Order: sequence, then structure tokens, then C-alpha cells
Amino acid sequence: MTLSIGLLVGLVAFSVAAILVRDILKAAICLAAASLLLGILFFVMKAPYIGAFEISVVAGLITVLFMVTIALTKAEGDVRESKLAAWAFPLFFAVFLIIDVLVMKSLIGKIPTQTTTAEGGSFGEALWKGRTFDLVAQIGVIFAGVFAVLALFRKRSKDE
Amino acid sequence: MIFLFIALPLVVAGLLPLIGKISKKVLPDILANGVFFVLLCYAVFVGRSLISKGPIVQQLIWLGEPVNIHMALDAFSLFMLFTVALVGLCVGLYSIDYMEHYGDKATYYALLLIMLAGMNGLLIVTDLFQVYLFLEMAAIASYALVAYGLGQDELEASFKYLMLSAVASGFIVISIAILFGLTGGLSFESVAAGLRGLDVKYEVGICTALFIFGFGLKAALIPFHAWLPDAHPSAPAPISAMLSGLLIKVSGIYALTRIFLTVLGLTPALSTILMYLGVISIVVAAFLALGQRDIKRMLAYSSISQVGYIILGIGLGTPLGILGGLFHLLNHALAKSLLFLNSGSIQMSTGTRNLDEMGGLAKRMPFTAATSLIGSLAIAGVPPLNGFWSKLIIIVALVQAKMWAFALIAVLASVLTLWYYLLIQRKAFFGQLNERWRDIKEAPFWMTLSTVILGLLCIAIGILFSLIIKTWVAPARDVLANAAQTMIGARGL
Repeated sequence: MTLSIGLLVGLVAFSVAAILVRDILKAAICLAAASLLLGILFFVMKAPYIGAFEISVVAGLITVLFMVTIALTKAEGDVRESKLAAWAFPLFFAVFLIIDVLVMKSLIGKIPTQTTTAEGGSFGEALWKGRTFDLVAQIGVIFAGVFAVLALFRKRSKDE
Repeated sequence: MIFLFIALPLVVAGLLPLIGKISKKVLPDILANGVFFVLLCYAVFVGRSLISKGPIVQQLIWLGEPVNIHMALDAFSLFMLFTVALVGLCVGLYSIDYMEHYGDKATYYALLLIMLAGMNGLLIVTDLFQVYLFLEMAAIASYALVAYGLGQDELEASFKYLMLSAVASGFIVISIAILFGLTGGLSFESVAAGLRGLDVKYEVGICTALFIFGFGLKAALIPFHAWLPDAHPSAPAPISAMLSGLLIKVSGIYALTRIFLTVLGLTPALSTILMYLGVISIVVAAFLALGQRDIKRMLAYSSISQVGYIILGIGLGTPLGILGGLFHLLNHALAKSLLFLNSGSIQMSTGTRNLDEMGGLAKRMPFTAATSLIGSLAIAGVPPLNGFWSKLIIIVALVQAKMWAFALIAVLASVLTLWYYLLIQRKAFFGQLNERWRDIKEAPFWMTLSTVILGLLCIAIGILFSLIIKTWVAPARDVLANAAQTMIGARGL
């Protein structure tokens, strides 16, 4: 329990830091750290498959993609950012925490523990037999992401 | 096989970038429009026969082996699939000429088809988590399509849309997680059945609120509308038509209606909330539309207002109210797509969206002016066009339910709608021709053809409204009314 709470606190702290730090490289690292803690949390909560995916894909692969993208980007002068985020975000975060403390504990307490879960049975069974349609949708989501990148980073010819 | 509605657009989308290397324009045009046409024919000819004996659930068979992919088709989802394919085909035809100057048509069509696959998927799934996944598929494609012009405005609007849509998806997935925690299932049936045996009023209340936030944001109901007046005008015209005509309806209204009427149950309190959200959207967005000078922005606010009518009808929950809401959904999809496409034609010819700079365009763009007038009058609810009948049904349903105030507001807001649509007509098409536009020409062939088809559909549905209601809308209404009735009986709502 203490370990879980520690991991959760770390997760929230790194997530907040990812939003608040101004350097995008540091933000990407904070995000990776948050994902890593979340992945460990999944292991602690006995969901090893999702934990492995979280660490390998979100903490690993996506972070590498962020790093490469940031490395390829050139800084062109200072971009002025709104000061609003600096005070509005902590305010919303505080309100969220208060609501969370007041509501979530009793809410979660009322949710009955399930005897069967998605990860009952082997990972392969869950993925290929239980949630096959999800894979089709995931392929679509990946397609959408790839084509979005192709569309947004396309070179426009002079006549366009 | 219902799976065709997802598989065909996905497969063609996957092939399009490769085909685009061989033929940059002609083949992508033919393939994308071919997909819309095949799906429209499939919905009309095969889909209707499939559900002739009632709703069906199909399991995918792959190489003779059953695969664990279950899809459901009933009159409500078929009605939506038909609407999506019909409007999609007109948008596809329009894109042939309009997207010429944007470049890389193959990628554009690939994204359009993925958005189509996402919407179609959402319409045939039987599982809450799959609703979320297909919702995301359509949404991700739409973010890229909004920014397709790559201008500052487009990118900013797309980013704003992405941020708010991500919040909406967050609400939806949290609600799905709570329902999974409560019932241990994700399919519509198992969640509905699981909730029957539990005393979880407050938890279901929280899920309902989260769904209203989430789907309300997707449907751009006021006060969740902030993204729409930026995203819809900034997108290329065919995408504005897809978003306003279809996406907000499928990912907002359809998903909301399906989940509330068949999974959670439409309680009297929920019905009241939906009706208030509907009526607030109708009135506030109509006033906001009045103040606009940008034609596409005015149309975007009008979409919010008209979605309000649909939610008002469906939220009322009576068979007649649902019928009116669904019929207005079809009519608005056709008329608003038509108007957005026309705004694209105007922008292409004149280079502006500012109504104050236009004037007398009817003399140079007669087809665009005529179809625009038809679309405007249809949405405003002028007889005998299609929008008149659907609004009339909603108002009659409100009067029948003794909701006098709602009925009165619906009538008055319709007058307001007519006002701002006549403003568009007067400023853009009537009056003296602005000298700047002396040399402009009517939109190219495919653009004009698609707007003429949509204009004719608005007239034809207006005249043959009873036939359309009998064939498409009433069966869809029956599915929802029966589901609502079953929920009331099962949970004693």
C-alpha cells in the first residue's frame, strides 16, 4: 500500500512537472518518468502485461520519438507564452485534488471487486480471443496517426 | 457482411498512399468515391434486407473460422450508416475539384476514409470500450483534416479541437472504466444487465454526468461548444461538411443516445437535463450566429443550434420526439453539408469568407446561390422543405407532452434561424454585384454537382417526407423507443 501511494505521488508530481516546466526536453523526460512509475504501479497491482506495454511503449518508444523530434526542431526566437497556465493549472489541480479526496474514496469503496477481469486467462487469450475487435480499431488509430503525420508534414508544391 | 462498413474504407485508406505514387489525382478520386458509393448501395439494398426481421448480431468469419468480432445492426445504426454514406459520397464528389489546390489528395482521402471507418465502426459496435476506440479513430483523422490547409488558423483551430476533444475522450473513458468496475463487463448488454442487479444510483449518476460532458463536448452542445466555431470554419469546406454534417452527430448524438437509451436508461432527470441542454444550445447559438460576419462561422454556430433541436427531440424521450430528433438529424446533415460546401465554393471563387465583402454573387454563381437558398430555407424550417417537417414533428411532440415553454422557444428560435439565414442570402447572393467579383465564375463541375444533389435531396425529402419517415426514420425510432421501454420495465425507472 505504502509503495503504491509512493508511486502514485511520484506519478502525479512528474505529470504536473511535465506540464509546468518550460523546456520541452525536460517535459518529455518528466513524462517518461511518470510513465515509468505508472508501469511499475501496474506491476505492483498485478497487471504485468499492461505494465510491460506502458514501460516499453510510453516510457520507452514514445520518449525516444519525442527526443528525436525535439532534436530535429530548431529554436526560432522566443515564443511568448500566456501567463494564464502558470496560475490556472495549479488552481484547477488543487480543486481536482479536493474533489478527489472528498469523492473518490467512497466511490471506489462502493465498486464491488470483480472475480473475472480482462486479464483473467493468458495475455494471448485476452488479446486474440477476448478483445479481437479492439485490434481492428487500434490498427485504424495507428493508420490515422501515420496519415496525420504524412498530411501535416507534407511538402507543398509551388502551385498549391 | 456488416464488417464491410469498417474493412472497406480501412483497406482502401491503407492502399491509397501507395496508389497515390502511381496516380496523384484520378485513381484516389475514383477509389475514395467508389468506397462511399459501394457503402451507400450496401446500406440501401443489403442492410435493409439484413434487418428485415429485426436487429441482428453478426460474428466475423475469417477463412472459414469464426473470429471474436461481433457487430450489431439495427434500424437505428443502419439509418446512421445510410446518412453517413450519403453525405460522405457528396463530400467525396465535391473534394474531386475542391482539394486540387491543397495537394496530396491520396493522403487526404486516406484520412477521410479512416474518419469514415471510425464513424461506421462506432455505429456497429456492441461494446463500450470499442465505442471509445472508434471514436478516437475518427477524431484523430479529423484533427489532421482540420489542419490540412497548414495555415496558422487551421493549425490553431486543430490544436484547440484536439485539446478539448482529448478532455471529452478522458471523461468518456473514465465513465467506461467505472461501469466496467461496477459490472465486470463492457458489452452494452452485460453492462445493462449488470446494473439491473446493483444498487448503484450515485455511481451511475457520476457515469451519466461524465458521459454528458464527454459526448456533449463531441456534439458541441452549449456550454461544451468552444472548439466548434474555430474548428469547423478553419477546415477545408468538405471537411467542415463532414464534421458539421456527420461527425458531431455520430460521435456525439448517436453515442449519447445509444448509451443512454440502451445501457443506462433515460431517467426523467436525465431527460430534463438533455432537454435543457438542447434548448440552451438552440437559443444561445442562434444569437451567437446572428452576430457573425464570417459565413462559415455563422454556419458553425447554426450547427450547434440545430444539434440542440435534435437533442431536444431525443431527450424528450417520447416516440414522436425521438422520431422528430432523428429526422432532423438526417435533414440537418444534408442541409448543413450543402451550406458548408457552398461556402467552400464561394471562398474558392472570391477568396473571402466575410459576408460584408460579398454581394450579388447569384449573378455569377447561380447554382451555388440556388442550392444555398434551398439549404438555408430547409434548415430554417420553411415548408415544404425537409427541415420544416422535422421541426414540426419535434414541436408537435413537445406540445403533446405539454412542454409549452420548450415548444414556444423552439418556434421562436426557428424564426431567429430564418433571420440569420436570410442575412447570408441577402449579403452574399442578392443585391448589387460587388465590382470585385465581376470576373468570378460558377464552381467547377464536381463541386456544383454535389451541391445540386444535396439541394435536390432537401426538396425530395421535403415532398416525400412520409415515405422517408416510413422507410428509414420510424424503424430507427422503434428501436430506440423499444429499448427505452425495456429499460424502464427492467429497472423500474
